[in-house]
Amino acid sequence: MIEVKNLVKRYGNHIAVDNLSFTVNKGQILGFLGPNGAGKTTTMNIITGYLSATEGTVTVNGLDVFEEPEEVKRMIGYLPEFPPLYPDMTVLEYLNFVADIKKVKKSEKKSMISEIMELTKIAPMSGRLIKHLSKGYKQRVGLAQALMGYPELIILDEPTVGLDPKQIIEIRELIKEFSKNHTVILSSHIMQEVSAVCDSVLIIDKGKKILSDKPENLSMHFGATGSVRLTVKGERDKIIGALSSIERVKSINEQEGFETGTVTVTVSCDENDDIREDVFYALSREGTPILEMRPLRMSLEDIFLKVTQDDEAVPDAGSASDIDEASDLEASSDSSLDNAEGKGEE
Amino acid sequence: MLAIYKKELRSYFTSMIGYVFIAFFLVIIGVYFYFQNLYTGYANFEYTVTNVTFIFVLLIPLLTMRLMAEENKQKTDQLLLTSPVTPTAIVLGKFLAVFTIFGVVMAIICTYPLIMKQYGNVPLAPAYASIFGFTILGGAYLSMGFFLSSLTESQVVAAVVSFIVFLFTALMDGIAGFFPADNKTAYVVFSVILVIICIILYIMMRNLTISICAGLVGELGLTAAYLLKPTLFDGLIVKVFGWVSVIDRFNNFYMGILDLAGIIYYISIIFLFLFLTVQVIRKKRWS
Repeated sequence: MIEVKNLVKRYGNHIAVDNLSFTVNKGQILGFLGPNGAGKTTTMNIITGYLSATEGTVTVNGLDVFEEPEEVKRMIGYLPEFPPLYPDMTVLEYLNFVADIKKVKKSEKKSMISEIMELTKIAPMSGRLIKHLSKGYKQRVGLAQALMGYPELIILDEPTVGLDPKQIIEIRELIKEFSKNHTVILSSHIMQEVSAVCDSVLIIDKGKKILSDKPENLSMHFGATGSVRLTVKGERDKIIGALSSIERVKSINEQEGFETGTVTVTVSCDENDDIREDVFYALSREGTPILEMRPLRMSLEDIFLKVTQDDEAVPDAGSASDIDEASDLEASSDSSLDNAEGKGEE
Repeated sequence: MLAIYKKELRSYFTSMIGYVFIAFFLVIIGVYFYFQNLYTGYANFEYTVTNVTFIFVLLIPLLTMRLMAEENKQKTDQLLLTSPVTPTAIVLGKFLAVFTIFGVVMAIICTYPLIMKQYGNVPLAPAYASIFGFTILGGAYLSMGFFLSSLTESQVVAAVVSFIVFLFTALMDGIAGFFPADNKTAYVVFSVILVIICIILYIMMRNLTISICAGLVGELGLTAAYLLKPTLFDGLIVKVFGWVSVIDRFNNFYMGILDLAGIIYYISIIFLFLFLTVQVIRKKRWS
């Protein structure tokens, strides 16, 4: 469907996109992930024909963006970072205008506009001036604009920025719905978003591709740490003693507990090992009940942070068994806790 | 193109600018019409038209300032440029919209000579020739204002720069008169203008080598011409300034002459600046 080959974009001496190549197949949702200034927006602008590339090619359905821009633009719906809205128009006027410039047939126009307004839930706002809408509604009108004409390829630059959590979930549902018949590329710097919606993830940093894979594979490859976090009720020495008696345990790291009379520890073993059963039996023999046990896996967010912070591209998850790293991990996986729950709900 | 035309036209009437422009224009022409024709009893409507050419300098920037500058500012140019519309269609749609608003005023003015005709003998040919000339002169100004608006993101900058440029074109004749007509002065003046052009070039392109090269080549050409054929520079300032002076050409129309050279001149200006605007929009992709 879309093929990007050796894309380079230079601004003077600054390289915004550096030799980027990827392909997206029909019906796929590609998540574009990277910190701010990684070159996500630039790449999207190039694909949509808003900017030119210094080197490289972009083809959509076999048509080159640089050679046949009009044809390619017909196949693309684009929601830029700042939704391109005319504040002095009403929502309906705006969508009418968009339908016209996207060359939607007159006979289909009216039904398409009302359909899209239903989809994006902006129908009640159709008579309002865009400048009076809230940020969330503006974003939805922008999304409606991108969907107009039902283009084969929909490109969304940070589509859920400025929306409240409920709206975010709605928009994600909408994007998933659309991917049944359309190809979607969306960018984000929020990991959970990408893992919730996308079939494949492309992480870029400083204009370079760092890795691309399916979101579930990412956490499988880099996710296992072999560590378990425990909250156990009982005396500290007894518990630590019991845990140290397990042979496969490599390190025990105590954390501050929240409840009185309990001990919170992180127990590490080899990366591919599973010590949960042993831990259970060891502690039950001592008569110290386990209140909580949770295997520590690197969330996508951790992978993302790791991958984009390291200058060496390939991350080494094995090093997570290190005590220092383990506690770092701890801190960041706490923040991703909520995300994990969010994922569960969907 | 039609979609952009309609959108642009509508936006002039939702933002008041359209009404203000038409009303203000009609008031000024009305005042002149009253004093020149109705009060003093002259039957020549072309006098009125000639006297009000100065309002272009004031009013056209009001109309053209937002044309592209606002799109650039609101980032809506991204919508236009990623839609299947060519830059040419965008520019033509916008220009026709702004010209339509101006055309409304012209259409209303066209009835004035007819009103006078009810009460006596009115030379209609020069009246309508001058209105026609006035219309394409306005078109030339609109096109220039449009171009200047496409260069910036700020409506205020667009308006102020347009105002200065228009003022300059209007006063060009007078300015040319200040310079001595000898060839040495002409040489110096053109060298200075060349330097100014190179500075503008540098500001626009941020490329020192290109602007310096352009300056050197131009200066070399000027010097060569001056050394080889100094008579070429005699009275050249007046000639060139007169050539750039947009309003100067209008005099023929005012005398009732449908001056073909003038018509071609104005229409060329319209197309030249529309073409330049298209190029500015195209260039954005390559920035």
